[in-house]
Amino acid sequence: MIKSYKARRVLANTFIYILLGGLGLIWISPLAYLVMHSFRGGKAELATTIIPQEWTLDNYAKVFNPPDPNVINFPQWFLNTFIIAIFSCMISTLAVLMVSYAFSRLRFKARKPLINVGMILGMFPGFMTMIAIYYLMKAMGLISMPKVALIICYSAGAGLGYQISKGFFDTIPRALDEAATIDGATRNQIFWKIILPMSKPILVYTVLTSFIGPWTDFILAKIIVGAQGPEHYTVAIGLQKLVGQEYKAQHFREFLAGSVIVAVPITALFLFMQRYYVEGVTAGGVKG
Amino acid sequence: MKKFLALLLAVLMLGSILVACGGNDNKGGSSSSGGSGGSSDDGDPFHGEDNIKLLVWAADKAIDVTKELCDEFKAKYPDKKIDITVQVQGEGDAAAQVLNDPEAAADVFSFACDQLTRLMNRETLAPVFEKDDVVARNSEASVAAATVGDELYAFPETGDNGYYLVYDKSVVSDEDAKTLEGIFEACRKAGRKFVLDAGNGFFACLFPFTGGLSLEGIDEDGTQKFNDYDEEKIVDTLVAFSKLFHDYSDIFLSSEATKISTGMAANPRIVAAGVDGSWNAAAVADALGDDFGAAKLPTINVNGTDEQIVSMHGYKLIGVNNSSKFPEASQLLADFLTDEEAQLKRAEVLSWGPSNTNAVKDKAVTDNVALSAILDQSQYSVPQVNITDTFWSPMGTLGNDLWKKDQNRDQLKAEFEKTIANIKDE
Repeated sequence: MIKSYKARRVLANTFIYILLGGLGLIWISPLAYLVMHSFRGGKAELATTIIPQEWTLDNYAKVFNPPDPNVINFPQWFLNTFIIAIFSCMISTLAVLMVSYAFSRLRFKARKPLINVGMILGMFPGFMTMIAIYYLMKAMGLISMPKVALIICYSAGAGLGYQISKGFFDTIPRALDEAATIDGATRNQIFWKIILPMSKPILVYTVLTSFIGPWTDFILAKIIVGAQGPEHYTVAIGLQKLVGQEYKAQHFREFLAGSVIVAVPITALFLFMQRYYVEGVTAGGVKG
Repeated sequence: MKKFLALLLAVLMLGSILVACGGNDNKGGSSSSGGSGGSSDDGDPFHGEDNIKLLVWAADKAIDVTKELCDEFKAKYPDKKIDITVQVQGEGDAAAQVLNDPEAAADVFSFACDQLTRLMNRETLAPVFEKDDVVARNSEASVAAATVGDELYAFPETGDNGYYLVYDKSVVSDEDAKTLEGIFEACRKAGRKFVLDAGNGFFACLFPFTGGLSLEGIDEDGTQKFNDYDEEKIVDTLVAFSKLFHDYSDIFLSSEATKISTGMAANPRIVAAGVDGSWNAAAVADALGDDFGAAKLPTINVNGTDEQIVSMHGYKLIGVNNSSKFPEASQLLADFLTDEEAQLKRAEVLSWGPSNTNAVKDKAVTDNVALSAILDQSQYSVPQVNITDTFWSPMGTLGNDLWKKDQNRDQLKAEFEKTIANIKDE
């Protein structure tokens, strides 16, 4: 039995830190592997050692300037995904915030039923309706324009994800709305000029999630784009193709490099928005 | 209110699915009847079709060759207005995409023969109208791989979708490469590995196949049928494999086939020989350079006699979509894309082994070490066709247990019987 409080604390902390360190190592190792081996040179396509013996930028060069665009056309995939993600992000952010505002601030007869329907529909896993979505898109003649089809798919139902931001809006005192109304502001003006500036954290959160969703989605994109040529692929579909049996022995390192590049826009977006996130959270905290 | 809305949405969705499917059925029916009606001979190979628009799916590596061939096809019929779009679609993925939506899929598409059953089950493939010529010019096994019942359902495109032996000539001599024992001994001397993906059903089925097991199609209720095999002989073969793997456990490595090219490209080389798929041939040849050796699979000594290892061998086929609006033109194009000249062109440009009996003898094929090895092995093989989905996983388990577990003959016999029962889903 260890009596000293300090000794006990040190022992407990050591144990905890070793455990956490171990878990952290396990968590970070695939990422470290990914980044490290994306710079691996040499003839072997798959790794033969844990730490690469030769280093090169060739894999990245090959990804950006593919020798055979029929196999890898990463710049095109990247552009496709970027366009889809940007547009879906803008449309769905707007939709989510507006729906949340309406549910939070307006009182109308169908409010409760609509909230419930939204909840229930939100409980169905998205991939359940995927075949139906495909045929709907086909009926609209959008299958040959996969970018448009995907933007519609990602942003059409976005308003259903209103729960979190509605919760946030509910915490903003209604007295502010009332004050603004007395000053002559319309509902629309209140949303844009009062509520939105006070909701930066939730705005950032919504932008991030609605950008990352389309950026990383695979299943729906595969169904909509699958029958089209590789010039219409998104990064997720393209990269998945590269680890298939036919390509792995020749393009595994390009796959690794591509995966690293995919993380760049998301990271950049997060770093850029992070300051508003923190600022917003603290500002909200002071007001209570 | 809630219920009403949910119901409305459900009905809308169901409706859209039914409408889409219905349209599909109608088209499939009309096109196939158009096909049989059009076979009355009026001297026009297209049977009246004109202003033809075709979509062709080909593998990305083959896209340029396919485009050239399609241009030749157009030039062959100058009086017809033919518009052909060639699109990249991986052969491993073709069936899934065709089944996803046959109407949006290509008229003519290339696929691996193991997908034939899936495509057939949904009637997405149109039978070959003029099959006599196709049957005559292609190898018997490749035709068998495209045949279901009495009907030929696709045009054989290649004959090399299988696996064979690759080895490092600086370690394994051509003489060593003839027997598995010789290869293992040579590998041990050099302290290098032999790779075989024993846990993968595609490779693992070679163990019982070598003992005389073979496939006989699928019966009406979807169960895999086997030939009338000699169980004792198969078990003897399994025992021989298992013993060899245990005796040489220091050099035998069960790992996915990409490990071979990687292990040979490493410095110093780790792998000396292995059973590799034809799709990796370029990577292995690149890694080994002048030391690249390829041959049919070796023999294994079973109770004193050397038995040739029997593999599973696949083919790439070109199929015609049953929903095609131009069935006659599609048939003609598929025929053109798989004739002797087209297959030779693929052999020269892409090193794809032909299924055409004349093209196989061409210099472009016989000079290619890997290609001749695969085609050589195809004589000792079971075609990869009419296989149930339940086949692969039990085979992989059997293969894994051969080297992982130390089992005696009775245990192996029980394991083999269990494998067959699992495949038959009993």
